[in-house]
Amino acid sequence: MAMVTEVRPRGRIDRVAATGAVTALVGVAVLPFVVFRANRIVAGAPRSIMDAGPAGLMLLVFAAAALAAAAAPYLWPALTRRQPLALKLAAAGMFGSAAWSVGQAAVRLLAGATELARVSIGAGAWLALVGAAVVEFAADSQLERCWPRRATTVAALVAVACAALFGGMGQLSIVREYQSQASFFWLYVGQHLTLAGAGLAFGLLLGIPLAVASTRWRGVRDVTLGVVGVIQTVPSVALLGLLVIPLAAAGLPGIGSLPAIIALTLYSLLPIVRNTYIGLSEVDPAVVDAGRGMGMSSAQLLLRVEAPLALPLAIEGVRAAAVLVIGIAAITAFVGAGGLGVFVFLGIGQVADDLVLLGAVPIVVLALLADTGLRALAARAVSPGIRGGTT
Amino acid sequence: MIRLEQVTKRYGDAVAVDGLTFEVPEGEVCVLIGPSGCGKTTTLRMINRLIEPTSGHIFVGDRDVMSVTPEELRRGLGYAIQSVGLFPHLSVAENIMTVPKLLKWDRKRMEERVEELLTLVGLPPEEYAGKYPRQLSGGEGQRVGVARALAADPPVLLMDEPFGAVDPLNRERLQTEFARIQRSLRKTVIFVTHDVDEAIRLADHIALMRDGRLQQYATPEEILDHPANKFVHDFMGADRALKRLGRVRVSEAMRTAVPSLSGGRSPQELSTRAACADTRFVYLTDADGRLEGWFDCHAVEIGTTAEDAVTLVDWRDDAVRPDTSLKEALSRMLGHGYRSIAVTDLTGHLLGDVAFSAVEAAMSDSDERMAAAHDAREGAASDEGSVPE
Ligand SMILES: Nc1ncnc2c1ncn2[C@@H]1O[C@H](COP(=O)(O)OP(=O)(O)O)[C@@H](O)[C@H]1O
Ligand SMILES: [Mg+2]
Repeated sequence: MAMVTEVRPRGRIDRVAATGAVTALVGVAVLPFVVFRANRIVAGAPRSIMDAGPAGLMLLVFAAAALAAAAAPYLWPALTRRQPLALKLAAAGMFGSAAWSVGQAAVRLLAGATELARVSIGAGAWLALVGAAVVEFAADSQLERCWPRRATTVAALVAVACAALFGGMGQLSIVREYQSQASFFWLYVGQHLTLAGAGLAFGLLLGIPLAVASTRWRGVRDVTLGVVGVIQTVPSVALLGLLVIPLAAAGLPGIGSLPAIIALTLYSLLPIVRNTYIGLSEVDPAVVDAGRGMGMSSAQLLLRVEAPLALPLAIEGVRAAAVLVIGIAAITAFVGAGGLGVFVFLGIGQVADDLVLLGAVPIVVLALLADTGLRALAARAVSPGIRGGTT
Repeated sequence: MIRLEQVTKRYGDAVAVDGLTFEVPEGEVCVLIGPSGCGKTTTLRMINRLIEPTSGHIFVGDRDVMSVTPEELRRGLGYAIQSVGLFPHLSVAENIMTVPKLLKWDRKRMEERVEELLTLVGLPPEEYAGKYPRQLSGGEGQRVGVARALAADPPVLLMDEPFGAVDPLNRERLQTEFARIQRSLRKTVIFVTHDVDEAIRLADHIALMRDGRLQQYATPEEILDHPANKFVHDFMGADRALKRLGRVRVSEAMRTAVPSLSGGRSPQELSTRAACADTRFVYLTDADGRLEGWFDCHAVEIGTTAEDAVTLVDWRDDAVRPDTSLKEALSRMLGHGYRSIAVTDLTGHLLGDVAFSAVEAAMSDSDERMAAAHDAREGAASDEGSVPE
């Protein structure tokens, strides 16, 4: 059998992927992988990846594999074509083994300790996860959308889920925090979604008509864009404080969900109004003229022509507003509106990092979900005739 | 019928349109022409009330346009503009359905109409109905714009430089198609342009404007032969005989029995098979009769190799259609350096050719016709003496 050797020039190292792999390796090597505490609030003792046992070794192997894959075009030019898939697999392995490692470290460290002892995720493990995400991103930017790409993404999710279910992550202090706060947790998640949802809904109800009016009357535009822009510059805590004055004057409570929803509505206005306004005003005047000339009424023109053409930018604004409002809703716990911010404030008060995380991590997840959901909506709702930018 | 009576539009102190009065008979094309800023667009847009006149009356049919709502009025007047203004988020079919939808036609009727119209403007429906405007070339976009204006079969079409933004070759094609469509549909059309050749080619009547005032309202022949004043004369240009060729169609001057050969193009074979006795050129076609090129007998005689005697061409670029104007045919001949140019139908089948000499003959013919028409009108015609030649 004849050997066919493909002679290829040496390619370049994938710098992004290499950075991710090195970040993970260095982070794991020099920073505490997990933190051990004798009880919930004493200062923690840093522990290295050695405490994770074989799982930790696996993480190091996968990170090294990612580095090798990143350098493959330079080291083994013949394998260049396989690089994206190798990176994806290495990233999936890094995610899974990192999750498994922290679980294993918790199990091992807590084996001989008291009920009160806690193990929380350390900076090293966080960096390993960030590094894995960077490798994943580098691979995705090389790879077309295809089934191997989707399959490896699913594999990463499955690996993390398995590690979470069977790898001892239940022993981690953030999970312990959750277990002791479970009923409050879901209550706060519900409150958080209600606050953010109400802010966004009122933002839409107010913002869309304001944007439409702004395209029709100069005066409305100048006032609206000005006011909405100024609101955005007021820090949220200050805005919540300032709201007390008009609310008190109207005989309404200055704390609780009312001021929170008002503040969130005001913050959501800028992205919604500005994007919708720009979207509407960028509609080609010839298109509007043609529509009018064919006998469309103003309402028909708005609904059938201007709105669909402004939709990509408008959805983009709603997406920005949703992410913003989910974040700021954490701060409204400050005026007693509830929500996941309560955990953050309580945790800061008690110097309990894990309680802070119990509030912060779900907020990030909610923001990511809103972001992904609205991107998907944009992909479906926008006409293929104008998808992907220029009209 | 469209009638304007003393229509004036003022913007502050500036007068965009000044006391305009003319009437376009049913089924005729009136071309509004004049220098940029003379008020053509303003006039057109007053007819469908995109602009409200300061004073005066406009009638479409027997109805004063002010007696109906603007929306109702506009749905009965086709409207096509230079920038086309296709809705980018809607497919070609949906764009064409715009007015039928406003008029609440049923789905089936609209779909049939889309097919009919796309075929009419020369875009195969199965290929174009589902496309989006950004997938169309400039010329295709203009065709869809015209189809959209015709969608609800309005008796009146208002067109503002509809072919102004396309390249000259495509513009000529669009004009030819427009002339063909208009011959069968007989709409009452107001067509704005600043292109004198386009006006002469398409108009039944030309309304020439300057600074918001009507300078002359007459047929192209009349306006070329008896310009009302120096401005009209200068605007229409000096090459009047040439301009008049814009009104003669190739079919009126073409020779139909042309020598041609189909199939087998080996040059040796050709030089023996070609009946070179009485003509210099023999057209070559494929088995279906589609023009593929020609064979130069003369070149063979003077000793060129047979290969060089064969010229292969693309009928889309190197031939004209029967309804192309003679002016266009002439300019193509001059452009290519041909003494004659082949005529094919819309799908490339060879129909005949037009010789340079035939164009010359047509030019003197039309001069004679003009002169005859002029003599007949003798006396009624006015101030030719006052117009410097
Ligand atoms: N909205 C307007 N305000 C003021 N002047 C205008 C307006 N629209 C058009 N004009 C003026 O009216 C004149 C005629 O314009 P228009 O009808 O567009 O000319 P054309 O179409 O013949 O080039 C021009 O001098 C133009 O500057
Ligand atoms: Mg104009």
